[in-house]
Amino acid sequence: MFRKILVGYDGSEGAKKALRTAVDIAKHYGAELHSISVEEDLPHYAATVGEVLEAKAEKNGYFAKLNQEAKEMAAKEGVVLHAKVVAGHEVEAIVDYAKDHHFDLVVIGFMGHSKIYDRVWGSTSQNIARLVPCTVMVVK
Amino acid sequence: MPDHYLALIIGLLVFLGSLISVETGISVALIEITLGVIGGNFLKVTSTPWLTFLSGFGGILLTFLAGAEVDLVILREKAKESLLIGGFSFFAPFLGTIVYCHWIAHWSLNASLIGGIALSTTSLAVVYAVLVETGLTNYEIGKIIMASCFITDLGTALALSLIFAEFNAFTLVFAGVSIVVIFIMPKISPSIFKRYGERVIEPEIKFLFLVLFLFIYVAKLGSSHAILPAFVTGLVLSKNFSENRLLQRKLRIIAFAMITPFFFINGGMNISLKLLYQHLGLFIILFGVKQVTKIAGIYPLAKRYVPKEAMFTTLLMSTGLTMGTISSTFGLSSGIIDQGQFSVLVAAVVISAILPTFIAQKWFYPSHVTNGDNVDKTGNQNLGGEDV
Repeated sequence: MFRKILVGYDGSEGAKKALRTAVDIAKHYGAELHSISVEEDLPHYAATVGEVLEAKAEKNGYFAKLNQEAKEMAAKEGVVLHAKVVAGHEVEAIVDYAKDHHFDLVVIGFMGHSKIYDRVWGSTSQNIARLVPCTVMVVK
Repeated sequence: MPDHYLALIIGLLVFLGSLISVETGISVALIEITLGVIGGNFLKVTSTPWLTFLSGFGGILLTFLAGAEVDLVILREKAKESLLIGGFSFFAPFLGTIVYCHWIAHWSLNASLIGGIALSTTSLAVVYAVLVETGLTNYEIGKIIMASCFITDLGTALALSLIFAEFNAFTLVFAGVSIVVIFIMPKISPSIFKRYGERVIEPEIKFLFLVLFLFIYVAKLGSSHAILPAFVTGLVLSKNFSENRLLQRKLRIIAFAMITPFFFINGGMNISLKLLYQHLGLFIILFGVKQVTKIAGIYPLAKRYVPKEAMFTTLLMSTGLTMGTISSTFGLSSGIIDQGQFSVLVAAVVISAILPTFIAQKWFYPSHVTNGDNVDKTGNQNLGGEDV
């Protein structure tokens, strides 16, 4: 049923649950599994290029370690995980990546905020589910 | 104001600034300027000679870093486009602001020149963050924009050092020393870095600081400004820097932790909210002059070299922050502009870091992302980012 699966992975507890579920589904259907990690907090309006570069290097190091662990976890289940790190806004980056690479399932962890935040902005999970053109699974 | 009280307040503001920056994702420079405004206007913190000197050194160090961050390969690759776009990006607002400040706002000629330099700048760092987020750093448009920013920065450094120099015998000493140092630095630095690098007492960083102090000293003798030799020395060392990751990181850590906060906090402290309110109309007009002249200078060329992203390119090239603040600070510390003019100029510079960036990302998002102009060999759009 699913041939190309994308999982949003930032190392949080919710994301780890999503990854385990995505690996399980990929194994079950023999699907291709990709992950996307979004570097969100690069400094805006920086004074020097170095400030941006250093922040990006720190994020890259963090996500490289996370994704290595994720790949090892997937490999234990016999699944190859293709990991991608992009800079940008979380919802926008995941939606664009899912649209442009023609995934047929996007798996994300539940990312809860306060009720007021969710009412005003909509939760990250809700926004991704609303904007991604394929099936979206939110893992709780 | 007692030094120990000033040091305590500044220490507190600098620490708070770093926390707020980490939590909000907004650059520490912008936060420090804002906290400086609060310190100067509400905590009644006033500048002292040691703070002014450290702040001045911070500006020179930032200029050196700006030069060291120039990618010479991209600059050579995009020489023609960047000379035109970067050149017009400097000259159009430079001349437009001088005309407005001198003939309409009736500023002195020198104050108008400072205004022209401060508002002609483009912030490569602000631009770079957007290019990274949009995945454009490796594309044609990203390279053209970055190379053009280098040229505009060079224009600022040239203008600030040459226009206000009072030519005398010591100016020749300043020029001679600068040329010799710039010439020998790429030759001697690698061996100094190799022999004395990677030690906790940091002789290599002290060597670089010595060179910058030398520039400040001879520039003072020659009644000029050290910004040009500092920028060019950074430029000639950029290759060594890009190859020496550890030195790069150590210099940035020392700069951001101990030196540049003094520059931005002091800059913010010198902004008078009262005077800014009194000249609110002028602030809005000067911001408008910068934007209109930048668009007039850049857009026709951007239309020619990056037709699909002409407005995106133009808006990014209309940003400003560090070099604009450095120019205004030079004007204030040299007595060329008063605190009211400084407040208006720095406010216009800071708002130019935010508004054009916001508009560019909101309404002129690059078509390589939205229209599929850059499709990779697998048939998918390449959104940038890295495979890990």
